[in-house]
Amino acid sequence: MNETRPGDAMLTDWRQAAGRFEQAVSGAVVGQDRAIRLLTIAIFARGHVLLEGDVGVGKTTLLRAVARALGGAYERVEGTVDMMPTDLVYHTYLAEDGRPRVEPGPVLRRAEDLSIFFFNEINRARPQVHSLLLRLMAERSLTAFNREYHFPNLQVFADRNRVEREETFELPAAARDRFLMEIGLEAPRDVESRRALVFDPRFHDTDALIAGIAADVLDHAAIPGIGRAIQHGIGASPAIETYVVGLWEALVRPGRAGIRLSGIDMDALVQGGASPRGVAFLVRAAKVRAWLENRSFLVPEDIRAVFPEVMAHRVFLEPVYEMRRAAIMPELCRAVFDTVPAP
Amino acid sequence: MRVRSHILAALALLCAGAAQAQVRSVEVRAPRAFGYFLGDLVRAQADIVVDAGFALQAASLPQPGPMAYWLDLRDLRAEDLGLEKTAEGEARRVRLFLTYQNFYAALDARALEIPGFSVTFENASAHGSTTATAQVPAWQFNISPLREVVPPARENPADYMRPDGRVAAVDASPLWWRTGGFAALALLAFGALARDRAWGPFRARRARPFGAALARLRRLRRAPDAEAAYGEALLVLHRGLDATDGRRVLADDLPGFLARHPAYRPDAAALGDLLGASRLAFFGPGPTAARLALPWPALEALARRLAAAERAA
Repeated sequence: MNETRPGDAMLTDWRQAAGRFEQAVSGAVVGQDRAIRLLTIAIFARGHVLLEGDVGVGKTTLLRAVARALGGAYERVEGTVDMMPTDLVYHTYLAEDGRPRVEPGPVLRRAEDLSIFFFNEINRARPQVHSLLLRLMAERSLTAFNREYHFPNLQVFADRNRVEREETFELPAAARDRFLMEIGLEAPRDVESRRALVFDPRFHDTDALIAGIAADVLDHAAIPGIGRAIQHGIGASPAIETYVVGLWEALVRPGRAGIRLSGIDMDALVQGGASPRGVAFLVRAAKVRAWLENRSFLVPEDIRAVFPEVMAHRVFLEPVYEMRRAAIMPELCRAVFDTVPAP
Repeated sequence: MRVRSHILAALALLCAGAAQAQVRSVEVRAPRAFGYFLGDLVRAQADIVVDAGFALQAASLPQPGPMAYWLDLRDLRAEDLGLEKTAEGEARRVRLFLTYQNFYAALDARALEIPGFSVTFENASAHGSTTATAQVPAWQFNISPLREVVPPARENPADYMRPDGRVAAVDASPLWWRTGGFAALALLAFGALARDRAWGPFRARRARPFGAALARLRRLRRAPDAEAAYGEALLVLHRGLDATDGRRVLADDLPGFLARHPAYRPDAAALGDLLGASRLAFFGPGPTAARLALPWPALEALARRLAAAERAA
């Protein structure tokens, strides 16, 4: 129906590649189709992802699977209480000849080729480490050894388990805002997947499982360019712009938008957050979804599909309600979509 | 023996004389001595003058109450008028106000006697007390019958009675007006209550968003700018869907909408076309492409079917 543009063929090829990528990952991680779809969106939107969930639901496995299917250099660190920012940048040791050596640490080791930096248990690291991540995530650059390193392909995947509170540090608001998505992961609900996860020996050996994934399904070096092409190729009509601004307004001032949740003072619920950067991220991610759905324009469903993961963690509630965030935010997001008219 | 009785009598006389000297005078006065009828109050004053040192013993006064079958003492009040100078030295005047009521049904004019009574005065000092008795004498008044003894014969006994007094006719219309006014007020208040409680006709009727949408669509058909009118029509139907479902219905929500509202299931395909056209019009290439996908007649036919399904549901 639309006239064929030169970019279209490329985007179509990449869409098929994205499909293969999702297939490859879902072969190893069952019952997490939504999380895989969101991760794919994050990859093409060039955004960082924070996975949150219970112990043993497959956060690390999912990220390892994605890293393998994506290809490119991959580094992984484990967050600990005694970790310091320098531990990420360089590594000091005594060499065999007895002389001290300083070598690049996990972030710098692969230099500009680094495509995935996987931060396990990010909430166990100190705020100093979180601060280092701020620049790494926002600008994809780092100053060390008297020069500036750039990581054009870098994507930070982090995970955090939400069960423990001891010896953990809450991520600062600025760091949370730099994550494109915060994806909550739960064990699959359907009986078939659960049975397979428990009884199929394939899922018991994680290393073998990851090794079974086809490597380098996507060309990681080309993804930034494709991401830009997607952002230009997918159109946003005035109606969708109005819609997104309406959603934003309703999320920040739910009381004025006429949203009522039982037992909550709507005028004193939201303290702040939902930054312009957040809403821009929302539109980026929604455009990628529109592209994955083989559409050349944004529709409200695209916004809705990524909204909770992209926006919920950027909203800061009044302290009274913060403890009930896990219950309130999904309800608020649903109410926002039930209230704001589309188109 | 005889001598001794004489002495006793003389002694008694002497004592009486001494007592007489202590009570100087008793005088009964009435406003008139005649012209009383059955049931009239008979008032009288009794002025008693005693020696200066004496005071009235209140307990010795007669108690108000029946005095004879025809006479009641209704009220008795004593007033000390204080000391006054007389030729025989200082004296105290006490005035009794007496109110009797006469119940004697007289058939002719006759005099009746109100009996007298005695009142005790006491002179108390450190050496003892002396009492003196004042005798209020009986006195007479004349009463008259109320009517003649034998009235002329009448055929109808009722004629002996006086005719009933005439009563002015009261105009009842202001009362009727007021009754009507208050009834209207009560009705209004009941209406307000019924509205507040959503009784009867105020019970919330199921809204008919598709019916309203159809009406607006018919008005839009005559709009000059067809393109804008088409967009407006899509919006109207969107709002109808939203109102029916109580939430915003997006294109992907259609299966859920049909599951919640089975009445619209026969129009599933047309609803899909509608949402697809709306997508094209608002988010995609524009209303022109949408009008090709879903022309106006099809849109209006769908609205009509939806309104019909809504009425039937």
